[in-house]
Amino acid sequence: MKRSIGITINGEVYEETVDQRLLLVDFIREVAGLTGTHVGCSVEGRCGACTVILKGKAVKACLLLAVQADGASVLTIEGLARDDALHPIQAGFWEKHGLQCGFCTPGLLMTLYEFLQNPKHSDEEIRTAMSGVICRCTGYVHIVEAVKHAIATVEALSPQERKEWFPA
Amino acid sequence: MASANAWVGQSIKRKEDRRLLVGDGQYLPDIVLPRMVVMGLVRSIYAHAKITAIDTTQATALPGVRTALTGADVKHLGPVLSDMSTPNLPGETKRPLFWPLSIDEVKYVGDPLAVVVARDKYTLEDALELVDVEYDPLDIVLDPERALQPDAPRLYPDWGDNVLYHQHIPAGDPDAAFAQADLVVKERFRCHRTGGQPMETRGCLAMYNPGEGLTLWLTTQRPHIKRHLLAEYLNLPHSQMRVIMPKDMGGAFGTKAPLYREELLACHLAMKLRRPVKWVENRQESLMNVGQGRDQIHELELAVKKDGTILGLRDRILADCGDARTAIYVGFAMPFLGAMYLINGYDIPNVDIDLTCVVTNKACLTPSRAFGSFAGRFALDRAVELAARALEMDPVEIRLKNAIKTFPHVSAVGVHVDSGDFPGSFAKTCAALDYDNFRKEQSEAWQNGRYLGVGFSMGVEISGVPSEVLVPMERQPGFGVATVQFDAHGKVQVAEGDSPHGQGHETTIAQVVAGELGLSPEDIYVTYGDTHSGPFAAGTIGSRGASYTLSAAVLAARALRPKMANIAAHLLHIEAGEDDFVFRDGHAILTRDESQRVPIARIAEVALLSPTELPPGMEAGLEHTSHFEAETAGMHSCNVHAAQVEVFPDTGEYKIVRYVAVDDAGQPINPMVVRGQIHGGVAMGIGNACMEEFIYDENGQQLTTTLLDYHIPSSLDLPHIETIEHNVPSPHTPLGSKGKGEGTPGMVPAAVANALEDALQPLGVKITELPLTPERIWKLIQAAKEKE
Repeated sequence: MKRSIGITINGEVYEETVDQRLLLVDFIREVAGLTGTHVGCSVEGRCGACTVILKGKAVKACLLLAVQADGASVLTIEGLARDDALHPIQAGFWEKHGLQCGFCTPGLLMTLYEFLQNPKHSDEEIRTAMSGVICRCTGYVHIVEAVKHAIATVEALSPQERKEWFPA
Repeated sequence: MASANAWVGQSIKRKEDRRLLVGDGQYLPDIVLPRMVVMGLVRSIYAHAKITAIDTTQATALPGVRTALTGADVKHLGPVLSDMSTPNLPGETKRPLFWPLSIDEVKYVGDPLAVVVARDKYTLEDALELVDVEYDPLDIVLDPERALQPDAPRLYPDWGDNVLYHQHIPAGDPDAAFAQADLVVKERFRCHRTGGQPMETRGCLAMYNPGEGLTLWLTTQRPHIKRHLLAEYLNLPHSQMRVIMPKDMGGAFGTKAPLYREELLACHLAMKLRRPVKWVENRQESLMNVGQGRDQIHELELAVKKDGTILGLRDRILADCGDARTAIYVGFAMPFLGAMYLINGYDIPNVDIDLTCVVTNKACLTPSRAFGSFAGRFALDRAVELAARALEMDPVEIRLKNAIKTFPHVSAVGVHVDSGDFPGSFAKTCAALDYDNFRKEQSEAWQNGRYLGVGFSMGVEISGVPSEVLVPMERQPGFGVATVQFDAHGKVQVAEGDSPHGQGHETTIAQVVAGELGLSPEDIYVTYGDTHSGPFAAGTIGSRGASYTLSAAVLAARALRPKMANIAAHLLHIEAGEDDFVFRDGHAILTRDESQRVPIARIAEVALLSPTELPPGMEAGLEHTSHFEAETAGMHSCNVHAAQVEVFPDTGEYKIVRYVAVDDAGQPINPMVVRGQIHGGVAMGIGNACMEEFIYDENGQQLTTTLLDYHIPSSLDLPHIETIEHNVPSPHTPLGSKGKGEGTPGMVPAAVANALEDALQPLGVKITELPLTPERIWKLIQAAKEKE
């Protein structure tokens, strides 16, 4: 069964007739060609590498069908930076060596994008926020530091800047 | 060895991160080619069975399906293993006979028996379901001790038994050592099946045309070694066989070092169909097939004097290698090296190690970070702890008494350890833990019904493996190699033959080359992964990066300096050589008159764009390839780890309150990157030791085929990991650097187990098995209580 749908990803509309069973993550990767969103488990929702922002919320794109996102707006890793300026969470990861192989990184960044809009500060709270994404390389230590770096940046933003960095 | 290299020791941000942070990484699944089709495997649902019929007609009738092959269709390709792809170890080896697909018989759940090719992965999933396989189940053997019994079911009937490999490693006079002992500690230790499991699964994309031959994009740690073996298997000249590790790879941890059957199938299908064939393993397949490591039983005895001196060791090691059907390691190279590294950082002169590797109806063991030594490190550091307890000695004191004291050191079994400082590492560990005070706190806690404990482990970690070891073991070289090549803009390309995937080579190699040439890391770009453009190399394994490959890059950069100096002198119209110049701030600067300088970009321009300006007779170009081989049979880092825990005996749950890792990186190039490697190694160690286990039920069904069942630690499962440097530069590398990270998980299981047992001292619990789940701890507590 096929259906025509339109999904706005990072501000660009992608219209396509797709199988109803097509997963949102495959729409993003294969229809839109945005391969920054990754698949690390057999679509069981555990690894979190496919996390994107859908209607303002961090969701695992392997647990949704593309048709469920028809008419909606999605923000992926490719939409985080503005021109060449990195988003505070991206800058934090770079500054604090929050990534090694980089495979889980898009999922973590999108998860933390949501968290940073209303951040909490303790290590425990930061670790709770990211616990839906598995990283096998870092042991999370530098990621916690990266998030703290990002929190400090975000909290120093003006309301206008904040709006620009968190459009979704 | 103080380094004059200005960029060494600088924690600069990684160069590779810019692309990875914005979604521009290029991983294997991201590559798409015109006319590409996708490949999937039908895998056995039985642990051991005769295949009585395979019917692919329904599958191939499905629109969009291109072909389906069974074992009979690939038999003409020949058996997978050759001399080249089988370890060449001392001892008695048997070689399993197998093909890319299993023919007539399957030997574990997940065993590939048919392959289907379709236009897209959704069609492929449908088609795989439509392949009809009939089985006639056979008796199975899952327990390695059962596998040794004469009446056990056989995996390979022509062998006469289930023994894949046997090796006896004697040294010194162990009988005399045991005769002189005041105390003999004898214990059986069991390490479960656990290991790597990277976040990106395996995958490949094969493309063929008769003119160019075969190009294989592959998730691999060893592009050149794979090319070599694939060319042999497919009977192609190297000119027609190109392997490319994509720019990025989502981790490997050893699991992407072997040659796998699926890769051979993709190559064959690409040649047969004349279409690009892509295979991306799903997580279920990955958990069924790779990352299953460790899995050893140790019957270990220590002969100990009253003062804590360990006189000798005996160990009967039994390794469960699964079906042993992957090339290069064949399931037993890991236990072999684990046996060689058993005594490790301890100076034990008399040993008798007997290693038996058996096959069972499980997936083949694959290499996993801490290659083969995880189980042995657990066993020995536990046994040392038991000895300390029996002698009422402090666990630090007994370790210091038996640690390697003078370097270089050659272990009883012949492992060379170049440099280290265990007393210094222990001093830093104890200071960080406030060890003396902790003991007081612990006593008070016991009185208040709380159970706090601390546990130590110590050991050496491989810092690359030299040719002297690797050639006899794997018929492969251990040298590091790099080509340092100026471009016409005065920037420098460093081509390596390895395939980094998170270790930070693009940054650390750039740092050292920049330092050697007076440039900035921004001026250096590192390329890798393509057998048609990088030098032949052993691959990214065994912490070879900072030890071997990086050292080769340093030597190659240094080799350019005389020519650069000669060009500079010529341009300055002076008589001068290399010793008259320093390379700094992007310039060749005359030391006796620093106003006399030539931009390095100008030197490169002359060498490449404007060779008419070269000194008369000088060859154009500015590049050099160096092969680095350390003048020793082994470089190592010496490390001490400690875990501090609180155990809640009502449930067996526990908290790792602190984890302190005191590690030796020789001369760290980028300390932030080194810390990241240690964090990751400890995290994998904690996951493997405490949470992760590949579980097979009594029918050989694997019960842990999702990440919900196979529990890789999340951010909430791990403590903050504290890293402390205690560096002893290697005398054998140009900058004193050592490789770091590969062996780190091996430090963890004993540290945590020793801490748990220490905490539970009032209850008299003895820990001999992994994983350290709350359930296991709870049961041990209950058993101890009943005994009382």
